[in-house]
Amino acid sequence: MKEGKEEKFSSDLISDLYTTLLRDIWESVSAWIGESLLTLLFHLAIRKIGEKYPFLNASRVSEEGLVLDEVKKGCRNLPPSEIHRGFQSLINQLSHLFSALTEGVITKELLPKVLPKVREAERMVSRK
Amino acid sequence: MEFITFKDLNKLRSIINAISTGIEVKEIIDSAGTTLAGLFDFSVFGVLLKEGPTLHLFQEETCPPDFTQAVVKNMLKVFSVLEEEPIEMERLTLRVEKGKWKNRQRVMDPQASLKSHLTLPLVIEGEIIGCTSINSDQANMYNISRLQFFSVFGYQMAASLRHIQRFSTVKKEAIYDPLTNLFNRRHFEEALSLETKKALEGESNLSLIMVDIDHFKRVNDTFGHDGGDEVLRKVASLLKNSVRQHDTVARYGGEEFVLLLPGATLDPTSTVAERIRRLVESTPFNMGQTQIRMTVSLGISNFPAHRVRSKEELVKMADLALYEAKRGGRNRVCIYQG
Repeated sequence: MKEGKEEKFSSDLISDLYTTLLRDIWESVSAWIGESLLTLLFHLAIRKIGEKYPFLNASRVSEEGLVLDEVKKGCRNLPPSEIHRGFQSLINQLSHLFSALTEGVITKELLPKVLPKVREAERMVSRK
Repeated sequence: MEFITFKDLNKLRSIINAISTGIEVKEIIDSAGTTLAGLFDFSVFGVLLKEGPTLHLFQEETCPPDFTQAVVKNMLKVFSVLEEEPIEMERLTLRVEKGKWKNRQRVMDPQASLKSHLTLPLVIEGEIIGCTSINSDQANMYNISRLQFFSVFGYQMAASLRHIQRFSTVKKEAIYDPLTNLFNRRHFEEALSLETKKALEGESNLSLIMVDIDHFKRVNDTFGHDGGDEVLRKVASLLKNSVRQHDTVARYGGEEFVLLLPGATLDPTSTVAERIRRLVESTPFNMGQTQIRMTVSLGISNFPAHRVRSKEELVKMADLALYEAKRGGRNRVCIYQG
């Protein structure tokens, strides 16, 4: 029972961490390439990664911004490692798209923001 | 960190202004190619359009062919990542324009390879219509501020191209008959004015053939309007394939068509009309499970053979000849007899 509660707590922490990170990515990249292009890239990435990690399909992406409330709700019943892998794959896919379009221009700027957060998530999962 | 200067913003305004005023794709791309060099350092600027598909490249005079190829491959690769569906190289139409940038005296190394690029999708209302790129043989040529400028350019480029697409659709709708894809009567009247003027002033030949489908009402009554439409479409296609490329074939109204043949004397015009008559007569028309036969009546007028003095007279004479063909029993060609 206690273990179940702890896992739920970890899941919440990890989904909080990643949703905040994704929102930061959105804030930065939308200033560089505009909301319309970024919406398109997020849709592409979610469509691809959502096949393996369906909880990501609850993301709501539009030119108004990124809404991840439903994703967070969906994460509550998932093991932290699954959430971590799903979000990590999504971020990798986004990086792949950014690199295809602009080589290192976007990823170079994003890396200092993204890497520490992904490592933090890795630590949280391994602590479990 | 590079700061955006007023000078750069002014250059961007000039670029946007240049690409917003074009009314043809090539015009916009050429404007972009010449003005972009003031804001970006690049060897090749490219615009890949899904429609076609066509890749327009605007490149430095000294750009080696291998570099061009690398740009083509990269743009196709990026587009396939975005569209998740590749464009085959064989289907692609490549249009290369060479230019000399005022601010660059450098001659490109014949061995130059693609070292930096920015490639952005051209997106309008969530739809990707293509992509645009700037490409350099120098490493790390672009940074965040150049990306910001290029994305603003990309949005405007997409909007301008979409305007052109819409403009050409409207233009098409204004001159074509939607059912048969032939020119409509309005366009025919314009062509007729132009060709009559040319013929009267230059005393060159001009022939007109009026075509009417015989007993068309019976088709509508028996097979409904869908059947009638099918006959109209098929006759239109037969007419279109029976004349030269510079002849005008139009739907005049209802089941009546008109053919304008600039430079044609009476004899070859009669030959064309007779060929059309036989072709329609021998062509089976499928109405679902039933196959029917159709015929047409044709009337011919010609300048100068019929001493025509105006476009109205040319039409009237062909119309009278068509009336004669109908009166004579249909499925025949009649030349105006003054």
